Amino acid sequence: MSPATSRHLLHPRLTLVVRIALGLVFVGAALPKIADPPAFAKSIWAYELFPAWSLNPLALALPWLELFCGLALCLGFWLRAASTWVATLLLAFGLALSINLVRHHPVDCGCFGATAPKTQAERLTDMRWSILRDAGLLLLAIQLLWATTPRRHGGNSAPADGQQV
Amino acid sequence: MTISLRSPSTQILALAALAVLAALVSNGLASPARRLSWRRSVSPLLGPPPPMTWPQAPTAPAAAPASAPSVAAVETQPQRPTPPPRAAAPRTAPPEAPQPQETQASTPIREITGAEAWKAFQSGAPFLDARRSAEFAEGHIAKAWCTPVWESDLEDRLISFKAARHPGAEDPIVIYCSGGDCRDSHLLAAKLLNEGYFHLLIYHDGYPGWVSQGHPIEKGQP
Repeated sequence: MSPATSRHLLHPRLTLVVRIALGLVFVGAALPKIADPPAFAKSIWAYELFPAWSLNPLALALPWLELFCGLALCLGFWLRAASTWVATLLLAFGLALSINLVRHHPVDCGCFGATAPKTQAERLTDMRWSILRDAGLLLLAIQLLWATTPRRHGGNSAPADGQQV
Repeated sequence: MTISLRSPSTQILALAALAVLAALVSNGLASPARRLSWRRSVSPLLGPPPPMTWPQAPTAPAAAPASAPSVAAVETQPQRPTPPPRAAAPRTAPPEAPQPQETQASTPIREITGAEAWKAFQSGAPFLDARRSAEFAEGHIAKAWCTPVWESDLEDRLISFKAARHPGAEDPIVIYCSGGDCRDSHLLAAKLLNEGYFHLLIYHDGYPGWVSQGHPIEKGQP
């Protein structure tokens, strides 16, 4: 990648917009799930990917992790750690949806809390869009990870936490 | 060795720890309808969710529960559980009332149509609503019991139901949720089967189907 392209992709203003947008998405996704953990547990159960003992702990802790990561991104602290979690979560969400899409098992995404009942065809369509959305958000998270990677410029090391953004 | 919060790897762990801590506190403060048990949920009754469609008609007379689809998924119950003792208290339904099913000793869990559900309602069979308590409050089948399968006080509600109705092992119990692809009623049926009830009727069309038929409903808190 040319230095000019890298400079544009790592521009502090772009990074600022990306982290606030990503942070708001995660805060928005976390709040309905924090408000209703049983509904989220039901959503996780429907994926048929997780052992029964893990359902409730996941349903209780995951939304708070999303919230803290979202707040960290919005407020600009612990950026690299939050970006790492966000990228990991997006990968996991995308993978879980993809596995169910491949086996033609329609599930309610549960990404932003429970949704109204839908037909199987509608659910499968929603899953495709959710995977695309996750992929787009993952690109944003990768940009943040890249922007917060420690670099040396003429012997000076940039802060690892990305305080420059 | 020193641990510094300036290290991203420490911050990653700190975020996870904060999330668990916040979840512990919020779950401790939550109402029963919003609380989850850390160690147990209704779903451990099952591995994968039960199939969305169930046989409409009995096929295997006196079949052992282990052969039913729902029970195949119940991991912790290899054998037919001991049926609860038959109730000593008088039944709500009159003794001469027709049973909703002619063949009680058939599949222990099966789906029924709206007409069968109505017949069961008229005969006085208990109806269990497996939906969330908030949905129940918005409207439910008249005289149904609120037994939200995903809420932490399910056990208490089932105990209240059993204490009030004293259902015998072979007495019909109708279970419903939201119709369509809702599987909460199947989960609850599997749980009751696990507890020794062998005449569980899942009203597949659920509350929306009941409303569309113009049958009696009630509103309000359980």
